[in-house]
Amino acid sequence: MTKTFFAKGSSRSLDRLLPLILLPVALIALGPVVRLLLEGIGFGDGFTTDHLTKVLTRPSTGTALMNSLVTAGGGTLLSVLIGATFAFLVALTDIRGKGALVFCLMVPMMIPPQITALAWMQMAGPSSTLLKLLGLAPPLGSPQPLHSPGGIILLLGIQHASLVFLTLRAGLRMIPADLVEAARMSGAGSLRVWAQIVLPLSMPALIAGGAMAFVTALGNFGIPAMLGIPAGYATLPTLIYQRLVGMGPSVLPEVAVLSLLIGAIAIMGVLFSRSVLSRKGFGLVGLSGTPLALSLGRVRGAVEMALWAFIFVILALPLFALLATSLIPAYGVPLTFNTATFDAWKEVLLIQPGTRRAYGNSLMLATSAATILLLISLPLAWLIQRRPNRLSRILDALIDLPYALPGVVLSIACILTFLNLPFTELTLYGTIWIILLAYLARFFVVMLRPIQASIAQLDPAMEEAAASVGARLGRRLRDVVLPLAAPSAAAGAILVFLTAVNELTVSALLWSSGTETLGVVIYNLEDSGETVMASALAMSIVLLIVLLMGLVQAGAKRLPKGVIPWQS
Amino acid sequence: MAELIFSNLSKQFDGAPALDRINAQIKSGEFVALLGPSGCGKTTLLRLTAGFEHPSAGEIRIGGQSVAGGGQFVPPEERGIGIVFQSYALWPHKSVSANVSYPLEVRRVPRVERQARVNEALSLTGLSDFAQRMPAQLSGGQRQRVALARCLVFDPRAVLLDEPLANLDLALRASMHEVFSMFHRRTGATMLYVTHDQGEALALADRVAVMESGKIRQFAAPEVLYREPVDCFVAGFVGDGAVVSVRPTGQVDRNGLMLKVLGQEVLSRSATAEPSHVSIRPESITLSDDAPLRARVTGCTYLGGRFRLSLDAAGETLVAFARQRATIGETVGIKLQDLWAFRDPDGTVLMEKVLAYA
Ligand SMILES: Nc1ncnc2c1ncn2[C@@H]1O[C@H](COP(=O)(O)OP(=O)(O)OP(=O)(O)O)[C@@H](O)[C@H]1O
Ligand SMILES: [Mg+2]
Repeated sequence: MTKTFFAKGSSRSLDRLLPLILLPVALIALGPVVRLLLEGIGFGDGFTTDHLTKVLTRPSTGTALMNSLVTAGGGTLLSVLIGATFAFLVALTDIRGKGALVFCLMVPMMIPPQITALAWMQMAGPSSTLLKLLGLAPPLGSPQPLHSPGGIILLLGIQHASLVFLTLRAGLRMIPADLVEAARMSGAGSLRVWAQIVLPLSMPALIAGGAMAFVTALGNFGIPAMLGIPAGYATLPTLIYQRLVGMGPSVLPEVAVLSLLIGAIAIMGVLFSRSVLSRKGFGLVGLSGTPLALSLGRVRGAVEMALWAFIFVILALPLFALLATSLIPAYGVPLTFNTATFDAWKEVLLIQPGTRRAYGNSLMLATSAATILLLISLPLAWLIQRRPNRLSRILDALIDLPYALPGVVLSIACILTFLNLPFTELTLYGTIWIILLAYLARFFVVMLRPIQASIAQLDPAMEEAAASVGARLGRRLRDVVLPLAAPSAAAGAILVFLTAVNELTVSALLWSSGTETLGVVIYNLEDSGETVMASALAMSIVLLIVLLMGLVQAGAKRLPKGVIPWQS
Repeated sequence: MAELIFSNLSKQFDGAPALDRINAQIKSGEFVALLGPSGCGKTTLLRLTAGFEHPSAGEIRIGGQSVAGGGQFVPPEERGIGIVFQSYALWPHKSVSANVSYPLEVRRVPRVERQARVNEALSLTGLSDFAQRMPAQLSGGQRQRVALARCLVFDPRAVLLDEPLANLDLALRASMHEVFSMFHRRTGATMLYVTHDQGEALALADRVAVMESGKIRQFAAPEVLYREPVDCFVAGFVGDGAVVSVRPTGQVDRNGLMLKVLGQEVLSRSATAEPSHVSIRPESITLSDDAPLRARVTGCTYLGGRFRLSLDAAGETLVAFARQRATIGETVGIKLQDLWAFRDPDGTVLMEKVLAYA
């Protein structure tokens, strides 16, 4: 049979075109960060450090920095305490129901901070519907105890405990079981083994996890905004927010310096945590993988009870409180069978144009971000993995940056970049597109890493086999790479959706009337005293999140390791 | 079916040479085995032929057309070459029949013809009953045959196989040898078969290319490799026996050269007038009690039907076959005949390499 084997030209055009996507990706993901750095040294008005010195020496900066360090530090301590306790018990002992326990510990991480804050506020203070229901409410006029540095620390600690938990558990899994067995053979009891073998070996992971919790707490906006602003207690992110909202874009050079300050601290934290993790410290040899299962003996039941009680307090109770508030007709009215009503739910989901618009905006933004990132990340991950060049390597190393940096920092960077579109008279500030661009930059890595992981696990021979039977690059990507990377891509897309639909920090600085997001609307509703509606809206979002998390969890078995953030 | 020509083909990875001026011509329809120790460049040569790597220098021609070198490069998907990977590389998300029909889908073969050709390929490889299975539900040997069917279905101009049997157990390997031979007879495809198992290479191939550190040492029919190795490496790597250095006596006979081997004068075949070594195969050694050359038995293993003796004669280790068991330490007389002499001045160096691989 005769065939023309050497078809001419055209074939490799995709091969040549594909690398071109690196450029827009680099511009969108890294452009704003670079622009922000330039602003710090007076970009546009020549090189100057005037702004720097002016802003940094102002007393309000010092106070906010101090407050940020205090709350983030305190929150980190609490996170380490909670996360480490859970990690040691889950990874090392024979307690039951580990999967469910871990899932519940991870939920606070996925619930947006402003909702966490709102829920906790419904649990304490004189107007708490739940406390009233139980007849425990403090007298009217007594202060909301959570509107204080202590309240901020408490919630930051709970919110980020899962970061410590995940890092430490991953570290604990690396400890060879035979080390522990050797110690037990030498006659050491459980407690002694833990204190003398396990604890020292897991120290690097614990420190790294703590550093990560610190960085995340430092950038948290939702919790200090809900709890600190009413008490006049400003952290760096809320200070930036208040100045920008109060004065408009004219204060950009100033807030740029503030965000560089917090960005610098965050980067130092990230680098510190990475270096601790990579400098393993101990050459661990031996067979790991055999899970340690120190027997708790008779106290096992009691420990399990304590853990579940704790989960009940930090997760179920606040959500009950939130639910209770969402079911009353007006704030302050006690919840009884007669007063209970779904009016607030109806109002926010069906009637109020503002909240419906916010739902629409957030869903649109989250869907668009997930879709666009999905479309770009697949070929991008393939390029980084299979055709590495200098640009793709740089991109691979730096693409974490927009996600690791606190949200306010990225927002300021985006405003600076898109306020006047280069070479045009156009501005994106105030439109929904600036939010979308910021989301794209911020969540790139959330989408890219899972796909990258699954392509890295893919035997290159799969694609070579397709090439050898005549499939060109486009077909290979479609017929081989796409179907095999699909589960990870789907998980990545859901994660992006999940994170974007709840996002507050970035949109709080970028929204304007008509482009408000769910996060912004909850904050604004609460700010203007519409607590009941805020609660109903928040509760509906929590349900959405748990549903989506469950969806990802259900597909967990088909995903490469490390794709799901709440598993390790 | 097409012939493959490599001319002065070289490949460096970050400056380190993996292939060094390969020159070879593989005839259309020929079954060639690439044999060599690990790291000698077999896979590299295969991947260059398939188009997965670019040569650093030299040219590759397939069926008279240049596919790489001379400033041009034809990508793998346009070379019309089939490959069977060591890992099989079956697409796990496609059923057996979907795997096999993919090459035809890519070529836009009409559905009816496609179905017919897939069925034919499946029945040829004995897979008709497994058409609807997923690759994960197959045994290693079955997966191997799917890979073969996927290759056969689109009538490639040449088929490349990279250690296709390395992951299979011994019994399965023997039966797969049959499948490959049958496949070759039926399709008449040009086949390039990589292996480091010399038994496989000698049994299957029309010709074998023995490679070592990026070079082809000898490219010849299996019996020629065995009887007439060109250097110490080939003599040591292919087949059993010993390589011993010799001194020519200057006498030339109609039937060969008279050489001084282990103190004895032996008539040897040779392609050169000034050989430096002889290859002594076990068949060249006859045990005989009254022979003047004495050797001590240092080892005796039963091979089924005969014994393999390791002998120490004048400080050299020889290998001989015997009908009876010999006791270790016993001294026997040996006669040498029909040796093959060749010239390889760097020989000793290479011998050490062979030993290192052993
Ligand atoms: N992609 C690569 N990058 C760098 N060096 C390579 C690469 N591929 C092969 N090499 C080197 O080229 C040499 C030849 O490798 P090759 O894979 O061709 O050996 P081989 O003969 O197939 O060995 P084996 O029998 O172990 O498969 C080796 O030294 C190897 O380290
Ligand atoms: Mg190889």
